[in-house]
Amino acid sequence: MPLGYVYVYPTHSRDAMSRIFYIFIRHGVDSTIARFTMSGCGRPLRAERARCGSPFFVLFPSLSCTEKYEFNQICMDIIKAENITKRFTNHVALDNVSVNIPEGSIYGLLGPNGAGKTTLIRIINHITAPDQGQVLFDRHPLTAEDVVNIGYLPEERGLYKKMKVGEQALFFAKLKGLKTREATEQLRMWFERFGILDWWNRKVEELSKGMAQKVQFIVTVLHRPKLLIFDEPFSGFDPINAELLKNEILRLRDEGATVIFSTHNMESVEALCDNFTLINRSHNILSGNVAEIRREMGRNHYRLAFQGVPATLLERLGDRVVNHTMGKPELTHNGPIFKAEFTLKEDVAMHDFISLANDTVDIVTFDRALPSMNEIFIRTVEQSNATPPAQQ
Amino acid sequence: MSSNIGIIISREVRERVVKKSFIITTLLTPLIMVLLWAAPVLIMEFSTPSDKNMAVIDESGIIFPELVKNADDMSYLTLSHTDMPLDSALHDDRYDAVLFINSDVVTNPQNVMLYTHESGSMEVEGLLNRVISKTVEDKRLEKYNIENISEILDEISVNTSIRTLRITDDGSEKDVSSMTSFMLGLGMTFILYMFLLIYGQMVMTSIIEEKNNRVLELVVSSVKPLQLMLGKIIGVGLVAVIQIVLWCALMCLVSAFLMPIIMPAGMTEEIALMNSGSLDAATSAFDPDLLKAVALFSSVGYLLKLFMYLTLFLIGGFLFYAAIFAAIGSSVDNVQDASQLQTFAIMPILVALVFGLSVGNDPNTTLALWLSMIPFTSPMVMLSRIPFDIPSWQIWVSLIILYASFVGMTWIAAKIYRVGIFMYGKKPNIKDLIRWARYK
Repeated sequence: MPLGYVYVYPTHSRDAMSRIFYIFIRHGVDSTIARFTMSGCGRPLRAERARCGSPFFVLFPSLSCTEKYEFNQICMDIIKAENITKRFTNHVALDNVSVNIPEGSIYGLLGPNGAGKTTLIRIINHITAPDQGQVLFDRHPLTAEDVVNIGYLPEERGLYKKMKVGEQALFFAKLKGLKTREATEQLRMWFERFGILDWWNRKVEELSKGMAQKVQFIVTVLHRPKLLIFDEPFSGFDPINAELLKNEILRLRDEGATVIFSTHNMESVEALCDNFTLINRSHNILSGNVAEIRREMGRNHYRLAFQGVPATLLERLGDRVVNHTMGKPELTHNGPIFKAEFTLKEDVAMHDFISLANDTVDIVTFDRALPSMNEIFIRTVEQSNATPPAQQ
Repeated sequence: MSSNIGIIISREVRERVVKKSFIITTLLTPLIMVLLWAAPVLIMEFSTPSDKNMAVIDESGIIFPELVKNADDMSYLTLSHTDMPLDSALHDDRYDAVLFINSDVVTNPQNVMLYTHESGSMEVEGLLNRVISKTVEDKRLEKYNIENISEILDEISVNTSIRTLRITDDGSEKDVSSMTSFMLGLGMTFILYMFLLIYGQMVMTSIIEEKNNRVLELVVSSVKPLQLMLGKIIGVGLVAVIQIVLWCALMCLVSAFLMPIIMPAGMTEEIALMNSGSLDAATSAFDPDLLKAVALFSSVGYLLKLFMYLTLFLIGGFLFYAAIFAAIGSSVDNVQDASQLQTFAIMPILVALVFGLSVGNDPNTTLALWLSMIPFTSPMVMLSRIPFDIPSWQIWVSLIILYASFVGMTWIAAKIYRVGIFMYGKKPNIKDLIRWARYK
């Protein structure tokens, strides 16, 4: 299986191309090969999400449709967790779980409560050791020294209440190996950016929850770790600060950090994550690229808005439809518009569906219905729960 | 990574030492101790009771002259002889008190009454008792007509003070008073007990607090749990040592400069005499035991030696017990849940205190020796024995055992701690702790 793809599209921006070269070269790919690949397709222009693990969208004006190039060598996994098993007295927290986290991406770690996410995070963080399996960090077995390259924001987090904010942030920075002066400079910059510089000499117990969360976030990212682990980072933030935080996370990613992102908020997974793993009852039940999996799971699933008689359309489609939902009609001066979703049989092509629908009703809009991460989460977990654990 | 322990320690120390309450307790405690100790002396020196005018109705006629003779040094007491009837004397405003002595006092000494408006002063009552008894005794003796009776009495009166001289191995003699050693031992045992309990529990509550407000999760993502636990124990221990050292310095200052000032006149000279061995106890104005104790506290060198042992046992005992407290603290969610498990740390300390307080009666039994070797009881029992000049090999063996057990106990505690800090919601019992300690 390839580690990533380069998608090639026609488009119009120049800067991004040099960044692609940069990434190719940084990962040790022969720069001439990279250049050849690029220049062979004409004038390369724009790259979106030029990161490992998620597709490169490289857009070339000379091509009329997408071409997909696979690449194997370019992408490095910053974390390779192989066959991790962790047992506690009464239960198995992780059963043979493997996770690969590509460098420079945002990786969602999803799962119901008690699935084993926190245990996996603690293992990656070198807080607990797995009973079986091993973790490779940046291509070598994880050791205690790697912790200075990891920043971890736990879900359950707190600060020393009696300590002053600045003093406390310095304490954590020094634990991550920063020198006092360097840490103070960095902290001042971050405090200013988050608008909490005035609070430097206040005690933590005087802080509001949101402000304490900001301090914790700063403490997590201050030492510029290669790997950032955020466990429910947005909880306790108002929408404005959540947005601020989201942009900071994206900026850190753009500066080269890899982010592991554990959350129950599926919308933020769609918005942020490139890849994800879904853990349920100690097992890894689904992993992959967010966009690909949504496409995959949305196959033969379409949304149609039309004017006409719904019953006639359904009759015409016949047994090609596995499942459908018909919304209430929206009344316009041209008559009612119906909005429906259809799940079709595997072997029905989109083309056939459109032509059949077109014959029967007036199509207003038509598109693929990509399932939300929320739907994927619920569907996959319920499916997995329906299977007895022994068969998994 | 190893510098992380240093960072943890410095945080623990700074958080506790740079605090008003610490500075105040450190300065005030020795002051209060000195004041408590010096209070009786000071009160004796400076208190002047209010003037008293006492009417004496002496029907026997023999007591009053003796009373006047003996009351010379009580300037506040004015004795006036009166022949008024008792009733009118009692209602006379000039008199604060009326002493009525019946004529048959020699045969019936119970027939003496003291009427007073306020409660009687101890000193006055003591004087009256003494004078009346003495006079009556003399009168009764006179009846026997023994020749030279007063000389005979002088000759047989004694004032005893035993000087205990301990024969040491090198043949020299050392002046030791069992009473003083006993008190010193008690004092040190008690100090140790307080420190173990206060600072041990400080380790525990501080771990519980970290766990409770979830800052722990943030800390262990940069520090190994063992480093965090050791850092906490050492940090809190350093605070205890800082306090002890400050106290030691304060005590030395007090004993060097303040003692001569606050001591009653004449005491210093008598201590000097006693130290040179030429003090005649019979002529001393002070209780010889008090003198010896004061002399001991005035000797800075001896104090330093004691403080050294106190500090060594304090550190060892603290490290040993703090490891136990740390294991307990890591396993519970809040202080209430800790009470049951805490018994396993507090009981041995209490037992050690009880033995420590009682071995002073006989510091050289086999039981005392064993108890001062077992790490659970050794700090306190040993400290209460040290002032009795026990052989120093015993002290050092006990210290070695104590410090070795600290290492062992820390190893076990670290295993419990590592598991315990992530356990929430369940109140563990001792079985759980033992199981956690066995995890790989």
